Amino acid sequence: MIQRKRRRAARIAKRIATHAILIAACVFALFPIYFIVITSFSTLPVESITASTLVPSVSQFTTKSYHTILYDQSPSFLSLLENSLIFSGSAAAIGLALAAFTGFALSKFNFPGRRTFVYFILLISLFPSFVMIIPFYLMFAKIGLINTYLGLIIPYSAGAVVFSGILVKNYMDSIPDDIEEAALVDGMSRTQAFFRVLVPLCYPVLGLAAFLAFIGPYTDYALAHVFIDSPGLFTLALGLYNLNSQSGIQNYGLITAFAIVMSLPIVAFYMLFQRYIIGGLTMGAVRG
Amino acid sequence: MADLRDQTLGFRLRREWPAYIYLLPVTIVLLVLNAYPIAYTIYISMTDFGIGGRFSLFNYHYVGLANYSYAFTSNASLSWELIGNSFFWATGSVALFLGVGLGLATVLNQEIRGKTIYRTLILLPWAMPAFITILVWSNMWGYQYGIINGLLATVHIAPVYWTERADTAWVALFVTNLWLSFPFYTVVFVATMQAIPKDLYEAASIDGAGSFSKFFRITLPYLKPTIIFVGLMGFLFTFNNFYPIYIITTGGPGNATQIFITKAYDQAFGAVGATPAFATAAMYSVIDFLIIVAFTVIVLWRTDLTKNWLK
Repeated sequence: MIQRKRRRAARIAKRIATHAILIAACVFALFPIYFIVITSFSTLPVESITASTLVPSVSQFTTKSYHTILYDQSPSFLSLLENSLIFSGSAAAIGLALAAFTGFALSKFNFPGRRTFVYFILLISLFPSFVMIIPFYLMFAKIGLINTYLGLIIPYSAGAVVFSGILVKNYMDSIPDDIEEAALVDGMSRTQAFFRVLVPLCYPVLGLAAFLAFIGPYTDYALAHVFIDSPGLFTLALGLYNLNSQSGIQNYGLITAFAIVMSLPIVAFYMLFQRYIIGGLTMGAVRG
Repeated sequence: MADLRDQTLGFRLRREWPAYIYLLPVTIVLLVLNAYPIAYTIYISMTDFGIGGRFSLFNYHYVGLANYSYAFTSNASLSWELIGNSFFWATGSVALFLGVGLGLATVLNQEIRGKTIYRTLILLPWAMPAFITILVWSNMWGYQYGIINGLLATVHIAPVYWTERADTAWVALFVTNLWLSFPFYTVVFVATMQAIPKDLYEAASIDGAGSFSKFFRITLPYLKPTIIFVGLMGFLFTFNNFYPIYIITTGGPGNATQIFITKAYDQAFGAVGATPAFATAAMYSVIDFLIIVAFTVIVLWRTDLTKNWLK
């Protein structure tokens, strides 16, 4: 009897400890996000933001920061967004096509030199991408591509290509060869079978490849900062960085509002497709 | 024998040649945008491009390994500091990711109420673009208006100059980096743990095994391939993770938190109006690359990782 009671007490203590740990983890995870959200809706100047203002009050609620961000900036938010979409969208389209072809060739063909090719692309993908900016800058300055759309789209397109190519390959490996063979028996060529049969089966991983190719340029500062100095070509990432360094902490409401507007589409995408993204990023290692 | 091999090669070529066409675009892209720039970087690291105030684009001379020998003789203390910092940054971060990720995953893998809610909330930081949240964190670590000093004030701790001392700068970097990455590691480990057959645990319980021995005898061995894989990827990523350091400490104070790529970027594009020392920057990039390649080869050679995912 006493023993059973003791066991029950131990079980309850364990449950309390479990929830305490998880709540602590959630507080750590959510605090900065919570802080960004309340700051972006607050009228308070930064000097008076202290721990006590972490509890928002209705009287300080305002959407002024969002208004300023969206309508009262130079270059305008719309122009930044447009440039970001041009750069990221082009990179995603090109990156997607490259990843699909690469994955197909590596997964469904047993051509001479296949292994060497894989080692080759893995080796060059180990070169730190941020310092690739130096040769890019020198190459592109030579041929006059600095400060142009094309000058950024080209290096952006190559950004995620090795990783995405292997991602698509691994996914296609899990599609039985019989499916492709059935299409060939039906009289399709291999190219037709690829576009009409394999590609539709690979939509999840192709979506992930496109997303990975999109997000890199969307949040890139390092390359854009070096390649672009005319405000007409500025991207959202440059806009946010400049807002942060020019007005600094004094305009914390603006910075946080900008951060939220810029993050929202990405957060929505991550939360909706988290299963595919996590499965993809671990390249099936999660399967154990 | 040789005859037979030729035949099979010819046969394979005849049947598999379209693969080369599919690989043509990516090969061109990789040669022009990866292989050539890498070779170019290696070459520039052996010139005097921008060193000693000499700067006009494309007017430079081949100097062999002079930059490297300078870096490891007269300038050796900086080079060793960069190597030490890069390893400290990468191994420290990965240890935190794996430790916190495994711990939370174990807790989260129990039968508890609200599991899905906890999981979703914990995952949220990871869904925010890192570049954006790092900018926000850099403001949170501020001395005067940073909210972290604000929180410390409520428990009567004097404000800290986070980025102006080496030890506190590292604390700021590691905490920020942990926040950016622990959600991903936690969710990955939970997903892997769910694939462990339940009857293994039941059999262990019958044999009288406690939670700890179950964790070390069943969970950990089962997770090993995943731990090695995400650990290696995390190391490679963090070793060259530019933004946290560039935005929060810019490598300071002094070079106390400087790693190879932040130093390289700074040498090439950092100081406004100063001569960009492209050769020095390229040299640091090459050293960084060589270390990463050596590290990867050793890990792949010491583990059977390649078998699992690189057929």
